[in-house]
Amino acid sequence: MPAADILLKGADERDLTKLVEYRAIGGYSSWEKARGMTPEQLIEDFMTSNLRGRGGAGFPMGRKASLIDRASGRPTYLVVNADESEPGAFKDREVMARVPHRLIEGCLISAHAIESRHVFIYIRGEYLAEFEILAGAVEEARAAGLFGEIDIVVHRGAGAYICGEETALLDSLEGRRGQPRPRPPFPPVQGLYGMPTQINNVSTIASVPSIIELGAAEWAKIGPEKSPGTAIFSISGNVERPGNYELVLGTTMRELIYDFAGGVPNGRQLKAIIPGGSSVPALTPDQLDVPLDYDSVQAAGSFFGSASLIVVDDRCCMVQLALRAAKFYMHESCGKCTPCREGTRWQVQLLEKIEAGDAELRDLELLGSVGSGILGKSLCALGDFAVYPVQSYMQKWPDEFRAHVERRACPFGGNSSIEGILAPSDQHTATVPA
Amino acid sequence: MSSPELVTITIDGIQLQVPKGLGLVEAAAYAGIEIPVFCYEPRLGPPVGACRMCLCEVAPGPPKPQAACTLTAADGMEVKTAATSAMAAEAQNATLEFILVNHPLDCPVCDKGGECPLQDLTFRWGPANTRMEFPKRTFEKPIPISPTIALDRERCILCYRCTRFSESVAEDGQLVALNRGAQSMIATFEDEAYRAPFSGNVIELCPVGALTSTQYRFEARPWEIQDVPTVCGLCPVGCNVAATTREGKVKRIISRNHPEVDQGWLCDKGRFAFSHLYASDRVTDPLSKVGKRRFEELEWEEALDEVERLARAAQGRVLLALSGTETCEQAAGLARLVREGFGSEAVVFPEETSATLDPFRLPLSAIGHAQVVVVLGDDRVVDRAPIVDLWLRAARRAGAEIVTLGPEERPAGSAPETVRELAAEGSELGKRLRDAERAVVIWSGPGGRGGALVAELAHALGFAGKPGSGAFYLPSTPNARGVREAWGEGEPRRPDRIGLLLVSGDEAAADPRVRELAGQADAVVAITMFADPVREWVDVVLPGTSYLEREGTYVNLEGRPQRLRRSVIPPAPDELAWIAKLGERFGVEIDPWVSPPLEEHAPLPERAAAPERVAPTAPTPPTAKGGPLRLVRYRPLFSGPAVERIPELQFQRPEAEIELSPQDAEIRGLTGGETVTVSSNGSSVQLRARVNRKLVAGAVRAAEEHVRGLAGGAVEVTR
Amino acid sequence: MSTFAEEVREIAARYPDSLSAMLPALRLAQERHGWLPPEAFREVADALGLTPAYCQAVASFYDMYHLAPVGRHMVEVCTNLSCALVGAQRVVEAFEQELGVRAGETTEDGAITFRAVECLGGCGYATVVSIDERYRQNVGPDDVAAIVEELRARG
Ligand SMILES: Cc1cc2nc3c(=O)[nH]c(=O)nc-3n(C[C@H](O)[C@H](O)[C@H](O)COP(=O)(O)O)c2cc1C
Ligand code: SF4
Ligand code: FES
Repeated sequence: MPAADILLKGADERDLTKLVEYRAIGGYSSWEKARGMTPEQLIEDFMTSNLRGRGGAGFPMGRKASLIDRASGRPTYLVVNADESEPGAFKDREVMARVPHRLIEGCLISAHAIESRHVFIYIRGEYLAEFEILAGAVEEARAAGLFGEIDIVVHRGAGAYICGEETALLDSLEGRRGQPRPRPPFPPVQGLYGMPTQINNVSTIASVPSIIELGAAEWAKIGPEKSPGTAIFSISGNVERPGNYELVLGTTMRELIYDFAGGVPNGRQLKAIIPGGSSVPALTPDQLDVPLDYDSVQAAGSFFGSASLIVVDDRCCMVQLALRAAKFYMHESCGKCTPCREGTRWQVQLLEKIEAGDAELRDLELLGSVGSGILGKSLCALGDFAVYPVQSYMQKWPDEFRAHVERRACPFGGNSSIEGILAPSDQHTATVPA
Repeated sequence: MSSPELVTITIDGIQLQVPKGLGLVEAAAYAGIEIPVFCYEPRLGPPVGACRMCLCEVAPGPPKPQAACTLTAADGMEVKTAATSAMAAEAQNATLEFILVNHPLDCPVCDKGGECPLQDLTFRWGPANTRMEFPKRTFEKPIPISPTIALDRERCILCYRCTRFSESVAEDGQLVALNRGAQSMIATFEDEAYRAPFSGNVIELCPVGALTSTQYRFEARPWEIQDVPTVCGLCPVGCNVAATTREGKVKRIISRNHPEVDQGWLCDKGRFAFSHLYASDRVTDPLSKVGKRRFEELEWEEALDEVERLARAAQGRVLLALSGTETCEQAAGLARLVREGFGSEAVVFPEETSATLDPFRLPLSAIGHAQVVVVLGDDRVVDRAPIVDLWLRAARRAGAEIVTLGPEERPAGSAPETVRELAAEGSELGKRLRDAERAVVIWSGPGGRGGALVAELAHALGFAGKPGSGAFYLPSTPNARGVREAWGEGEPRRPDRIGLLLVSGDEAAADPRVRELAGQADAVVAITMFADPVREWVDVVLPGTSYLEREGTYVNLEGRPQRLRRSVIPPAPDELAWIAKLGERFGVEIDPWVSPPLEEHAPLPERAAAPERVAPTAPTPPTAKGGPLRLVRYRPLFSGPAVERIPELQFQRPEAEIELSPQDAEIRGLTGGETVTVSSNGSSVQLRARVNRKLVAGAVRAAEEHVRGLAGGAVEVTR
Repeated sequence: MSTFAEEVREIAARYPDSLSAMLPALRLAQERHGWLPPEAFREVADALGLTPAYCQAVASFYDMYHLAPVGRHMVEVCTNLSCALVGAQRVVEAFEQELGVRAGETTEDGAITFRAVECLGGCGYATVVSIDERYRQNVGPDDVAAIVEELRARG
């Protein structure tokens, strides 16, 4: 399948961060058209297009919009999730840095559909350059009088992965510690400041102008019936040409890894593919022909997630990889709910023991049981995310885990590709010596 | 109100009908089924679903355990708790194990031991032995987060009850969670003391032994104690409390949730001031003055002889000064003794009271449900009736309009004019009060004629015909109404010469008016708990008792009679006992035993019938005309004879400072923090200046205890 | 009078609720102080009508706020999966050598704080190094000496 050209259309030829350039390729004409449409018509179009959320869960965007209570007279809000912090994901960054106006146009159309006057784009704090570009584009579009009654505020996060979870994002945006809220009530009913709120990923919203442009029915024909459209796939790890590739959904992993990204370098063997960012179960080389769409990846035992592939070659110790992933989720656990806060820490302690060669076989069992104690019981999905990688590596590479116990050492003998990998520095401990 | 829609749900196979929207935890309790919870506490606001202890199997719903505390009953819902669902049991066991992973097993030395929900749950179904072999999270040993509260972070299970209380009930924003994930911990800012009027509630909210009372630490084990249900006697709210006693001593005060009065919250005065019972200057025997500052102990019979002698010598010129802390029965006994026995009609009440509010009576909880509330008067609500402050905050959170018209909004002392303004036709705010179905007006400060002025306003606003609207007057003493009514008919009178001044209670003894009268009296008899304040001016001291040591009735600011119970035996016979004896000597029969027929959670009496017309009170001329600044003296929440004797509460007392408006500070070239001289009529005191951005120009504010030396209400402030 | 409070209130005016200005206000305070000392929380609290405790509670939740003094420059190396798979640890080691400090520490002269951090969102351009919040991508161990020299030259 060839590379697709919808989200990033025109960006190779022109500097689309500039309003004139974007308008030169027909930018904001979808917005002009949408302004003449009723919210009902727009939501209908979103539904027809069957655009599914690109933030992870794949929930139909139009359905979400239809759940917003527009009749109550209370303000409604559109919140764009630009927190992109899932290890392996860097696609939304590309959208913001290269086609910011497409995202803004999508915001305006989507806001109009839910009769919202306020759009907040919550961008992760680390994306400073992208923030500057996006905020600049917002200013330019506002100055050009494109906003009408709608206002867009670009709001920077401050370093917390959990703020990508939609309700934690809302708390953070409200000026609190970014901790998830129980659902129900769901954001379309009670979201930002307690008002009906639509939350979507950057790539979801940036897809919206193309739906208006091509017509919803036409748009729905791109790619597989149940997962139409394109996605920017982030691919990283052990491949020849890592980076972002915009492809039609349904492209197989093989095509992406070998045809686009040039395969595994240095003659190494492919060992594992993590298809949706580090939080999802790993797949194995025999599954290379799985198409990259929500349903196919799920049928293969993993998740489409954030359309971000991490490719792992045969030099990597899966225990170390599990430990590194587990440390990330422990670091990012917000601390609100018990299973995640306590379980992620315990999981790391057990993995450290296993990795060091100090564990017994019953520790492997215990690790499994700690994981199932977290799975499905935490307040938000971060708890699950902490368990999926660990449990899937254990299931698919059981010998490596057992070898650490039986040989009382890492079978890679210090030559694993991620040997010596560090945990993040402790929060807030970097001090100037007295 | 229409009756709520009923829905049918099934819990562990038991089908029941409950109101739609009822929380599942409550619904299960209806069916006699307990869903274990830690973080769930509806009084703290919407559920947070944090601890995950309540996980149950719920259909319809996703195929994984659901936090029951966050769900409400809907028709056809099927809930299975750990008793009937393997999924729920597995989930709850997992949660419990996770909670225990970092919880120390120091139950035998933990203050919570024996009354700890975590210990109970662990005992019932917890894992027999721990599978966790790594070092537990460690923290510094228990640290004081204030002189009254200790925090043991290792025991904390991060249910966030305490921080939610601080943030969304008391709204003091002082106790918070720091850091993230496994490093999260409860803290105050830079380890400063948690200094807020309601801080102690977090001790009761904590489901483990993480937050404990410094007063109660290591004092008693649950099986050695007795909880006596009674009512707090330190302010006119009358929170329902239980006094925990051990070996005849009060060890702590905990709440006994009266949903209409206190909702289970207590202020720190009510919670921590009980140990004034054991103050070193407590009077335990009758004392008689010998020499300038010396007393000698008397036998009871001798003491009664002496009082009898003084009373007879006064020949009817006896003046009784009341505190407003007497029980109704005690006040009635004193009234009969003085009137029928001593032949006097003279009495000094602690403050003015009025029955005119009775037609506008509401439970305090009605404030929480009001749509519009207006607070008038010069005093902060929290200083007079602390719990009312929490009801006001609850109302604001629920969306009510709360308008405070005190010295931060209007000139000091202008509340009577404000009443007339609001009652007048053209007032916008008055109209909102009139139009609302549930409106409340509150008088918080002096000059309110015991409630008559606010009653007048309520009448003018048409509240008599609106059962959801009403008025409150915040008295400055706990039982002023009860005491006034116990005295019976007749306006307070004062003899031209005072043969004997009978001072009832420590508050009366501390009242400057009473001190002045004592100077004019031939003899003074005081009934006080403490000797030091009366040493110089009293001839005979009879030991007084505390509200914790008496049986009897208090009538709170709502007009609700509530029962005080004797929690511990006082060190001397209680007042009523010797009043009866003294009565005998004068041929008056007084019943020394009282057992008021009141329920544990006393109901509020019906509203009185409203009068047809209320004659407007004549406008009061402002009392302190002419002075450049008008001094608002307030009696701080943390003040009075009991608080003064509690070392742990000293940090809560206000600084020796005077608050000025920015304008007044600027005119005088004063800045915050410097020492200034506050003078009036030739008297002066030195205080630290504090610029209060909100205060209106022309008013200055100071705690009564810091400006006692000042005569008059008009003051000047200079460097 | 206080331009800080004014600036904060200006930010706050863009939101339906002024509390939303919390993260920007903390960032502003950090820019002024270099980190977030107790007085910074008092300033933010004053400007937004909150308590310092509340502001500290929020700040301590997020990795980008410094609750202790940091060096004049901040060097952060991503050590998450994708960077690790292509050798982030070598880059970390190179920085440790060059700076003479371990990850999480600040150089003796207070010039540079060096941290190993979680995914920076540049996985396809590993190893990603953030220098004073500006990304350098595709950094290898050989690039480290030049980066440090450049920072030292900046003072
Ligand atoms: C721990 C966690 C982290 C998440 N991070 C992100 C993220 O960085 N970006 C994102 O768009 N969605 C993220 N999500 C998913 C969001 O909660 C939400 O589903 C999404 O923003 C909805 O947008 P969509 O429907 O357009 O996908 C995360 C979810 C969880 C549980
Ligand atoms: S201290 Fe107690 S109340 Fe506060 S979070 Fe910890 S366990 Fe809960
Ligand atoms: S009681 Fe339900 S999650 Fe804590």
